[in-house]
Amino acid sequence: MSASSSSGGSGDWTRETLAEKVCEILREELLEVDDGFGPSSNLVESGLDSLAVTQLMLSLEESTGIWLDESLLTPEVLETADTLAACLLEELSRG
Amino acid sequence: MADRLPLTGADCFLRAFDDEIRRRCGSSHNSQLVLELGPGFDGERLRKTLDEVARAQPILRAPIRRGAFSPPAYRLDLAPRSPLPPVALHELEEDAPDDAVREVCFRRLNETLSGRDGRLLRFDAIRRGDRTDLVMTWLHMLLDGSGSEAFVRWLDEVGGGMRSPADLPPDEAPDGPVDRSGQPLGARERGDRAMRWQASMKSLGDLPTRSLAGPLRTERQALGYQVRGFDHGESAAIVETAKQRAGFLTPMLYYLAAALRAHDAVFRMRGARPPSYVVPLPVNLRPKGSEKAIFRTRVSLIWFQVEGEQLDDPDGLLDELKRQRRDAIKAGLVEAGTAAMDYARWAPQRVYARMARRGLAGELCSFFFAFTGEFLADQPTFFGAPIVRGYHAAPVPPSPGSSLAMSLHGGRLNATHVTQANVLTPDEQACFWTTLCAELVAPGGAG
Repeated sequence: MSASSSSGGSGDWTRETLAEKVCEILREELLEVDDGFGPSSNLVESGLDSLAVTQLMLSLEESTGIWLDESLLTPEVLETADTLAACLLEELSRG
Repeated sequence: MADRLPLTGADCFLRAFDDEIRRRCGSSHNSQLVLELGPGFDGERLRKTLDEVARAQPILRAPIRRGAFSPPAYRLDLAPRSPLPPVALHELEEDAPDDAVREVCFRRLNETLSGRDGRLLRFDAIRRGDRTDLVMTWLHMLLDGSGSEAFVRWLDEVGGGMRSPADLPPDEAPDGPVDRSGQPLGARERGDRAMRWQASMKSLGDLPTRSLAGPLRTERQALGYQVRGFDHGESAAIVETAKQRAGFLTPMLYYLAAALRAHDAVFRMRGARPPSYVVPLPVNLRPKGSEKAIFRTRVSLIWFQVEGEQLDDPDGLLDELKRQRRDAIKAGLVEAGTAAMDYARWAPQRVYARMARRGLAGELCSFFFAFTGEFLADQPTFFGAPIVRGYHAAPVPPSPGSSLAMSLHGGRLNATHVTQANVLTPDEQACFWTTLCAELVAPGGAG
């Protein structure tokens, strides 16, 4: 299983709005980051760890209906909020 | 500086099992970190540095005392009365076998350290020619795995003159449980979460489980261990597969699946597969490498339970572990675990250990497992000597009687299998390693 969707479809999401959503969740709930944290900030260097990444995926599942299986979360995908958003959008577009 | 530093809930959770080992098996709940060092190790400098550090950081020899109406705490004000942590130097023949080194390691693992007397930590440097095995042994509640690595790194920096012994940021994390954003929980929320965790723990008892040691052994503690280091090629392949199958940041589930299949192979060899396996996975509640909280343990636990038949399908097993981990995090059981452990600060130790065993008919779990990730990743040397290899030896109560700790250093994967004496026959031990290695290289490869 690669990804599962409970609602399906890409809806109104864009890569930019998804990246901003990722940043919002990380900033408000999961990481202690400064004001400069944004879509191109390195996630692992900002403190994303094994627990936080699963909490992030659960929050994103609530927002988008998409669950990304852990095997899809490669270093390239988890590099920044923007790269993660690109992966999410691809899964959303597959429905 | 405050006179008292309270133990965390996780510390008291461990302290309950330390008490159990002390009463039943005449030892203590000791943890060990071993560094295999190349030429150039300066033992005298380590001894001098540790003395300076222990004088500047009183927790390293502070007696642990419980007040009449307060939870157990490190009595920092009494620390100067306790002896400084010792560094013993052992000189062996250059060609002394590894077993001679292990004999010292095992002796320390089974000796009694004492929170009451402030004897919490010791070092042994075992020389064979220009090689040294440096063994750090501590009462487990003083440092968790991540904290022990941070301590070793910090000690080296002090010894190298890069920092002063007092140059350690204070541990300002709240002593009690916090919510996801780090805010302390109110009493009601704390109680609700603890109840939720207790209910999840109770449900584990619905399916019987059994450890390799069988429930409750009471003979004198006699822990020993075997270490398997994979070469660079094997390690690279295993690590890559683990990341691909279980995720870049969550490879531990791949290693746990292999460990479960290895234990299952031993049980099947005995012709007695238990109805279920129950294994807790420690969750580090601070970023790896954090300088902020070296001392005291900051962990929660995620519990897994799989039925025997689920181990027959390696892919299905990994998916099941992923699902259980995701569900546990979604249900807030990581935070609930810290709330439940917080009650261990107030409950009498014996009551707590008894409660923990009651749910699983005398067992605590099937075995203990930990994957601590990259070991001292950015530290190539320790007190002048290159670090050739490093690994953890995790302590284990008399039952379940075995633990498996895995970590990476310098691109090599290490696995330490700690067992109580006589829990495994030599044939069973061989079966365990053969299966573990095969499962790490190719899940299902062991048949």
